[in-house]
Amino acid sequence: MTAAWYEYFALIPVQRAFVALCISSAVFPVVGVWILGLNIVPVRFAMMHVALLGIALGMVLGLDTALMGVVCCGIVGIALAPLADKPTGLAGPMGLVMTLAIAAALLVLSIAGVNANGAFELLWGSILAMREQDVWMMAGISAAVVGVAVVFRRDLTLLLYDREIARSSGVPIGLVTTIVMGVIALAIGAAVRQTGALLVDAITILPALAARNMAQSQRGMIAWAVGIGLVGNLGGFILTLVINQPPGPVLVVTVSIITLLTYLKRR
Amino acid sequence: MMNHRESDTDIPAVLATDALCCRYGTTVAVRDATLVVRAGEHIALIGGNGSGKTTFLRAVMGFHREYSGHITIGGRTVASRGNHPWVYRAIAWMPQRQATGAFPLLVHELLDSSLDPAAARQSAIDLAMEPFLTRNLSTLSGGQLQRVFLSRALGSLTGGAQLLVADEPTAALDFAGQQAMARLLTESAQTMLVVTHDRALIERCDRVYEMAGGQMREVPR
Ligand SMILES: Nc1ncnc2c1ncn2[C@@H]1O[C@H](COP(=O)(O)OP(=O)(O)O)[C@@H](O)[C@H]1O
Ligand SMILES: [Mg+2]
Repeated sequence: MTAAWYEYFALIPVQRAFVALCISSAVFPVVGVWILGLNIVPVRFAMMHVALLGIALGMVLGLDTALMGVVCCGIVGIALAPLADKPTGLAGPMGLVMTLAIAAALLVLSIAGVNANGAFELLWGSILAMREQDVWMMAGISAAVVGVAVVFRRDLTLLLYDREIARSSGVPIGLVTTIVMGVIALAIGAAVRQTGALLVDAITILPALAARNMAQSQRGMIAWAVGIGLVGNLGGFILTLVINQPPGPVLVVTVSIITLLTYLKRR
Repeated sequence: MMNHRESDTDIPAVLATDALCCRYGTTVAVRDATLVVRAGEHIALIGGNGSGKTTFLRAVMGFHREYSGHITIGGRTVASRGNHPWVYRAIAWMPQRQATGAFPLLVHELLDSSLDPAAARQSAIDLAMEPFLTRNLSTLSGGQLQRVFLSRALGSLTGGAQLLVADEPTAALDFAGQQAMARLLTESAQTMLVVTHDRALIERCDRVYEMAGGQMREVPR
């Protein structure tokens, strides 16, 4: 190794990655908690493929592919929300969306005569390749997440516990579900594109899973998820620089180990 | 106590169902149920397991949507979502299977969802639930859980709800608890529709309906 790890911070991509990670690992674990509460863990895979469809459409129509990917995710997330009231829930439709979206994306690319590999490359982003506008988009979506978490705090606490209890308490569950699904889909869509598919789990679902083992309340879960997200991801990022390995796998391994440890706590 | 007389029809209906049929796919759980609950009445709904009592109440609450016929609360149809904000302020609800959701909810958070959170909290304290206010609902016993849901419902009645709808509210209680709960329910709720097997509670009601195989009929007394 030629440089000490902290010397990498002189590089612009490393600075951007660090800022993006500070923001997202402080905020996206909240999205992970919502995903667990709505029981829609497959949303990550579904949105990854919807983002690909958006990218394909962007390439074909000559629009900004990053934006199209995120916009498509938001639309599909909102469109799925009414299914939350079905007894079978959202997990099944998520699987359907995943398959349908990738088939549609390949079809769109094929009809337009565009090379599919180009679209896949655009899908698999890396946190070290973030542009300045990507960091801003990340910050904007994070602000939306915080806004929803604050404005709908009481409604969400009841909704994630039980839809009927929430409804009988006067929570407009259709509206709240739609807003939350839209924000989750936007967040996942943006994160997949910008940080890479693997890293999305390290900043969303893994901290939430760990928090569920540690906390006795939803408020506690959010606090633990954010804490574990920050410690795991920022610690993992420094580890990445120290051992000079790609950030995606290192961060996921770091946060996964923390998450595994929390399972020991359970009796 | 109120007797069932002709002149009762002058008293406004708080809850009315007309030819209500509820299905789960091809299973018919409630058949042609017509019931009117007038202001001031306490109605008990009895019947064997699986006879359709919970389904009937969940349809009244707007939770079970696979139905035909009409349901109105205070003259407003439950089927119309536009009425929901009003409907959910008009009803205090005690569910049977108090969701043991996958996610935690604290006792005081549930009490805060009552129409009058302060009154709900006071009820919980009166029912000896003060030590449990910061506990997770999933760590309570069945009887404790029922007292929390009762407190929430009592708070909503204080906060202006006109009708108490309760599904086996005394099922998890000990004998003394059942007696006390029966008294509390009938004294607190001006108008009530309650599913129950509990003698003490049935005896305090003005009318009794029985469900069997999804059909509802009034039990002569
Ligand atoms: N979610 C469901 N899906 C399918 N059938 C159901 C469901 N819930 C209840 N049922 C059926 O509907 C009938 C009435 O059930 P329920 O209203 O819960 O009865 P009760 O409350 O009187 O014990 C039963 O035959 C039951 O098996
Ligand atoms: Mg029942």
